[in-house]
Amino acid sequence: MRTIDYTIEPPVVEGKPSLSSINEDIARPLETKPTKGWYIAISISLTMLLIGAVSLAITFIEGIGVWGLNQPVGWGFDIVNFVFWVGIGHAGTLISAILFLLRQRWRTSIARFAEAMTIFAVMCAGLFPAIHTGRPWLDGYLLPYPNQHALWVNFTSPLLWDVFAVSTYFTVSLVFWYIGLIPDLATLRDRTTNKIKKVIYSILSLGWRHSTKHWNHYEMAYLILAGFATPLVLSVHTIVSFDFAVSIMPGWHTTIFPPYFVAGAVFSGFAMVQNVLIIIRKVFKIEHIITLDTLEKMNKVMLATGMMVGYAYAMEFFIAWYSGNQIEQFVFLNRALGPYAWSYWIMVSCNVLFTQLFWFRKIRRSIPVMFVIGVLVNVGMWFERFVIVVTSLSRDYLPSSWGMYIPSIYDIGILIGSFGLFFTLIFLFIRTLPVVSIAEVKAVLPNSQPSHGGNH
Amino acid sequence: MENKPLYSVAATFNDVNKTLAAVQKINEAGYKNYDVHTPYPVHGLPHAMRLKSSKLGWVTLIFGFSGALFAFLFMYWVNVIDYPLIVGGKPFYQLPAYIPVMFEVTVLSAAVFTVVWMLFIIFKFPNNSHPLIDTEYMKRVSVDRFGISIQANDDLFELNKVKEFFKNLGAEEVFEIYYKIDELKDKPKIFDKKFISFLALTSIVVSAITYFVLNQLLFMSPFNWMHEQFRLNPQKATTVFKDGFGMRNPVEGTVARGYLPYPFKGKPADAEMKLVNPLIPTKQVLELGKEKYLTFCSPCHGNFGFGDSRLRGQFPNPPTLHSDRLRNMKDGGLFHIITEGQNVMPGYASQLTTDERWAIVHYIRVLQRSVNPKESDLR
Amino acid sequence: MSQDIQTFEAKPLSARFKQIAFGLLFLGLGLSVLAFLVDSHRALANYNVIFALLVSVSVGNLFLFAIEYLSGAVWSTVMRRVNEIFITFIPVVFVMGLFVLFNTHSIFHWSHEEAVKTDKLLQWKSPYLNETFFTIRYLVYFLVWGIFAFFMTKNSLKQDESKEQLLTYKNSKLSAAFIPFFAITLTFYSIDFLMSTEPHWYSTIFGVYYFSGTVLAALSVLTLAIILLHEKGYFGNILRRDHFYNLGALLFAFVNFWAYIAFSQFLLIWYANLPEETFWMIHRWEKGWEIFSFILIFGHFLIPYFSLLSQQSKSNLSRLKFMATWILIMHYVDLYWLVMPSLYKEIVFGWIEISFIILAVGIMLVLFLWRYNKIKNIVPIGDPKLKRSLEFHL
Repeated sequence: MRTIDYTIEPPVVEGKPSLSSINEDIARPLETKPTKGWYIAISISLTMLLIGAVSLAITFIEGIGVWGLNQPVGWGFDIVNFVFWVGIGHAGTLISAILFLLRQRWRTSIARFAEAMTIFAVMCAGLFPAIHTGRPWLDGYLLPYPNQHALWVNFTSPLLWDVFAVSTYFTVSLVFWYIGLIPDLATLRDRTTNKIKKVIYSILSLGWRHSTKHWNHYEMAYLILAGFATPLVLSVHTIVSFDFAVSIMPGWHTTIFPPYFVAGAVFSGFAMVQNVLIIIRKVFKIEHIITLDTLEKMNKVMLATGMMVGYAYAMEFFIAWYSGNQIEQFVFLNRALGPYAWSYWIMVSCNVLFTQLFWFRKIRRSIPVMFVIGVLVNVGMWFERFVIVVTSLSRDYLPSSWGMYIPSIYDIGILIGSFGLFFTLIFLFIRTLPVVSIAEVKAVLPNSQPSHGGNH
Repeated sequence: MENKPLYSVAATFNDVNKTLAAVQKINEAGYKNYDVHTPYPVHGLPHAMRLKSSKLGWVTLIFGFSGALFAFLFMYWVNVIDYPLIVGGKPFYQLPAYIPVMFEVTVLSAAVFTVVWMLFIIFKFPNNSHPLIDTEYMKRVSVDRFGISIQANDDLFELNKVKEFFKNLGAEEVFEIYYKIDELKDKPKIFDKKFISFLALTSIVVSAITYFVLNQLLFMSPFNWMHEQFRLNPQKATTVFKDGFGMRNPVEGTVARGYLPYPFKGKPADAEMKLVNPLIPTKQVLELGKEKYLTFCSPCHGNFGFGDSRLRGQFPNPPTLHSDRLRNMKDGGLFHIITEGQNVMPGYASQLTTDERWAIVHYIRVLQRSVNPKESDLR
Repeated sequence: MSQDIQTFEAKPLSARFKQIAFGLLFLGLGLSVLAFLVDSHRALANYNVIFALLVSVSVGNLFLFAIEYLSGAVWSTVMRRVNEIFITFIPVVFVMGLFVLFNTHSIFHWSHEEAVKTDKLLQWKSPYLNETFFTIRYLVYFLVWGIFAFFMTKNSLKQDESKEQLLTYKNSKLSAAFIPFFAITLTFYSIDFLMSTEPHWYSTIFGVYYFSGTVLAALSVLTLAIILLHEKGYFGNILRRDHFYNLGALLFAFVNFWAYIAFSQFLLIWYANLPEETFWMIHRWEKGWEIFSFILIFGHFLIPYFSLLSQQSKSNLSRLKFMATWILIMHYVDLYWLVMPSLYKEIVFGWIEISFIILAVGIMLVLFLWRYNKIKNIVPIGDPKLKRSLEFHL
């Protein structure tokens, strides 16, 4: 049995690096030319993005009819992808805001990257409400603009709540991320010798001069933002779940949807963050900053949230029986045994079964295995949204209304494009901005804080 | 450098505990206008500097509350006053449904205004012309040193005394920080060349884009509100059909509504034998017959069927309707004549429905009977 | 440092506390027996409510104990022994619950055979809602809770003497295993004893709802006990503002969480407007029960929210004491609101309810007294995280 020493604080960063080495390690990718690997990676993601762009162009020119949507399945890939990407975004806010409030110091090395991923994921998610109207240049009409025919949006519809929730989430995440970047941008400004970069960093850092008088307010603002971001992130996926749960569709109208969706979002988000971090830490040689311990903790969070998702499945199933509602019972049997059963079993095995491997410490600390499990979790969570949306719609109350949904090539193209957008943004991010929060990591290094035994 | 005003004397330390101790000494010495610069927030430092805790929370509270109130009032006004609509069978005022939007707006306004207030009002950012920016001191403090800067406008400030003081506290390096005099002298002018050309360029570009979007782009597919559609509008040509016409003729044998095909075309004898008047001579039928007779038949046949109409002389006079032949002719025969016409008389099938024609037949019988009544009629 | 001089032995509780505890217990017992004789149906319904309260307090503290180990938190280590005192209530709570088991007829409609014969829905549910299976499940819940409680507290106490780090490791493993069992057992406990009082109704979030209230109840009693002990000097001066701040922050966070779950449940039922679900909510909005609903909105959410919002309030001891008591009372109101409107169409609240509240308080105080006297050290002196816990700073 391995021996842990509980008397000492586990170090956040390995190897006791100096303050200046943190600067060097994190700023280095911003000051060197991109590697061949980076060019290959971004070419792949740009290709995927291009596929999506072409699919979108055809969708706009030809109309939404080129998608696979029909009656009764009026919601397909568009909303599945939307919910998927919003979910991915939640990990970032959880890591930066919630773990901050819980004073979990291991978050410092991954918070910046995770927040960036949140913003990019929310951008990908925001694509879908924007394009699903078929004429996105008219999307302005979705907002409550003053007009003479007393025409207003339906404030009582969860689809409108989504508009407010996702845009608020994007704005607040962006603001939170930017605030965190200001001290680092100032550091880069002070370090760079390139004239153009100096101008850019100076403008973006707003003249930050590391003054304690400013840090004092800054820390309060950070705490307030974290305090707001926490209920915000819970509310966003809750409101997304309301899209389904306020309806009377069997399989959708169930009160556990809000916390179930939130847990699922954190689950898939952490899987994506874990996957990308594994690659980044290797490529940038910052394995001592983004440590194996951090990855293990993330896997534990995945295990916990995965089990919450499993709990929700069990509750839905049990209450479907308990309620005596035959249609609800049918929906669940249909999910497991009907025409889309293959997607259901992918979902259950990826989300519930494979995740259980994380009970074993060896697996939690094995990079290849955890990477694979992370990928499977994302697959499983995508399929969960697919199962929820498509099975409930394809077979609801009246058998004469039943129908199948088959995605078209453009649906798939847009999905590929969203991944392309996400990864392109990440690749651009890692070469233009520091992927780890320099100031925050410095603040948690050993001996970085004064050693006083006393009281404040 | 001569004549450049001094902003402060700043010193760097390489240990955070030494820095804290130095701050204590600075307080004891009575300095008030000083600041400490650190690459990351140091715990206990604001307290050591006797800084009051940030009041930013109040900004958050006020703006958050206002956001919630504004959202609630707006939704209330929209749903209850401006355009109440029954949605989902719910009442106009539905507080539970307002809560999600109220929550989001609260968070949005609280978060954004807190940050904006802090950056622009408390910090007075952006401020890239602060004397400390771009100094060696700042470069140190960005990386791994802790700096203290005592400002020249402090009551107790005296250049050499402060430098000595820092040395005694164990400072690694001591800097003199000056205002950038060029910046102070260089006041921006409104008619600066660069600025004017920037304004000009921006206005040209914006105008061009606006013109393009509003006058050209919005008339191109797919932005033109579906003006061009794939369906065939009337009188459009097409390559789908051989004759190039978009419009097609009706299929052979198509009949218009209300106009059934007449089976006795050219067969008056058959018509007389086979057709039977389906209408009963009720008052309504006779009135209809009278109305239609007067409209369509009287111009030639006269108001009472004598052939003495107003058109006498201009048209060949029709024979009287009271002849024996016509009185003895069955209804079907009369109907046939009205439908197909006879000699100069045109057919009225396109102007009268079958029912109307039958009604006219009844009216003709009335006229005939009035001219040649039966014995029983006269009593 | 002062900790070397101080011992962490648990000083005996004051005589006055003993008096209050036993006084309330006997008063409560007397009044509730009287209530039982006057209106057994209502008395038993109330008994079910305070039984659920005690389950919250005891099993909720077991949950908090497990979370400390799982998250690797150090701030709470110094207070964990108080936590363990509440955990050891579990066997007594088990005995308390037997009284409910023997009186299912008075509380649960589904246990009436004549009703089941004519009600199709109850017939459908009868494989689950029948007395035999109900009893078996009850035994399983307490077996699970009892086993984990026993071993985890045993390890903690043993560590006082042996100071082995291995025991912390073992407890971490037990905590990890406990959580999934806890989720299932607590959920089904709440379905069995609370949701089935209205057997026609259902809500998939009900288990989570009861869980949110449970954590609040556990945190409230813990906070209250710790602050009172601290103020009376039982902890010496080892507890600092930072420790209390975390308790306040957790209270605040779970008040928010409860409100979130409660609102979600309400909004979804209200919005879909399906009569098979809304009737339960409508019951709680008419014939006087709306008073309780309002009390929950304002008392269980708005007042604690604004009261604990600012940073200072979370470490202000008198504020924390007040809010902890308040929140515990609100949890009782919550449980009352869950159960009673299903059994009584019009609002009922009178001396019978007060007697059972007094009984509940009395039981908790006496149990606390009894279990406190069994422990030797008020702080887990053998815990390897103790030093870090004592030095804990935000």
